[in-house]
Amino acid sequence: MARLYQRPMCIASSLMVPMATLATPPWLGLDGVPPAWPVIWLLPWALADGPVSGALSGLAVGLVMDGLHLSGSSQIPALVLLGWWWGRLGSRAQPIQRSLNLGLLAWLGSMLLGITLLAQLHIRFGWPLALEMQGWGWHTIWCQALITGLLTPMLASLQLLLWRRMPSK
Amino acid sequence: MAPFLRPGNSRWRGLGQLTPLLLLLAGLVLVRFSKGAGFTDAYALISRPFWPGPAQREWIVSANDVQQTSRLKLLERDNQRLRGLLSLQQRGSQVGLVSAAVIARRPRGWWQLLDLGKGALQGIAVNDAVLGPGGLLGRVSSTTPATARVKLLTAPGHEIGVWLPRSRSHGLLVGMGSSRPQLRFIDRDLDVRPGDLVSTSPASTLLPPNLPVGVVQAVNEQAAPATAAVVQLIASPEAIDWVQVMTR
Repeated sequence: MARLYQRPMCIASSLMVPMATLATPPWLGLDGVPPAWPVIWLLPWALADGPVSGALSGLAVGLVMDGLHLSGSSQIPALVLLGWWWGRLGSRAQPIQRSLNLGLLAWLGSMLLGITLLAQLHIRFGWPLALEMQGWGWHTIWCQALITGLLTPMLASLQLLLWRRMPSK
Repeated sequence: MAPFLRPGNSRWRGLGQLTPLLLLLAGLVLVRFSKGAGFTDAYALISRPFWPGPAQREWIVSANDVQQTSRLKLLERDNQRLRGLLSLQQRGSQVGLVSAAVIARRPRGWWQLLDLGKGALQGIAVNDAVLGPGGLLGRVSSTTPATARVKLLTAPGHEIGVWLPRSRSHGLLVGMGSSRPQLRFIDRDLDVRPGDLVSTSPASTLLPPNLPVGVVQAVNEQAAPATAAVVQLIASPEAIDWVQVMTR
């Protein structure tokens, strides 16, 4: 089977990440916090394509997402790490496709992403962070992880199904 | 038969003839002491059908608007003249307003920003002030030829200098990520109260002066190292579809 990065349609699906980030309606978030779209896209990709492809895809999506956001904090470290980890899980273990597993992995990924962003805030604004900002940070982490974990089983299952059924060249 | 006469009967009869006059006098005294209450009430009751209707109220409101607008213009002119005398930057008089649609918004989450449908081609530049209904929303942080990205006042670490007109004190408005930024002061003993208006500084060189920003919601006098306050912003980015960018 051809690797995902060799299929133009699979690569084109990554365009959905910035588009979804820009177009997320307020009602799709939890208390206004949108889901982590890079995590939702990266999980099935890394599971299907292995650690190296996962890490490189994490880097690519992270670069795009950092460009879309304000400077200051970067999503790249967390996405590269997640891509590598999920790629190893996908290549070494039995295929992960149950909704609960996908949701749990996405929840963990979103938590890790949030924690790295909060850590970067700590570095930028000094330790300890103001109490209000810390409260807001943890609130954002939990809301984002929850909505990402809820949405991923639906979307990632669909992605895995489509990518596996797609005829190889 | 001789008529029946009683002594003093004629005196009572004279008093009886004066009764209407005395009643009238008493009534007038009552009117005097009640400040004409009966008359005005009666007049109000009778004239009610002829009272000014909603149309007249609109005329008054409209006239009031005209008066307020002209007063604002006079004050603005006066302000410009005084600022000129003080040799301050006269940005307020030179700015242009560009209306732009909000094409994407992320008012919550890690990056609190708006994406606008107009950019450098329309004269929008980095650090331009962005206004929503009610007041300042944020500043332009980057532009492309066709879009502009606005960093909201609530974004973590976003700092602008502000002014409290009532207590005539300066402060630093710092975004904390939550919907209510924090106002930090340099001095400890300040006359800041909940309900105080927060605006951009009259002497601001980064932002147009005297733009309303928010209202002080709570004051923490125990905060270290100086007094701090929580500010409720007037303009809400969650429900805005159009904004105005003050270009320079």
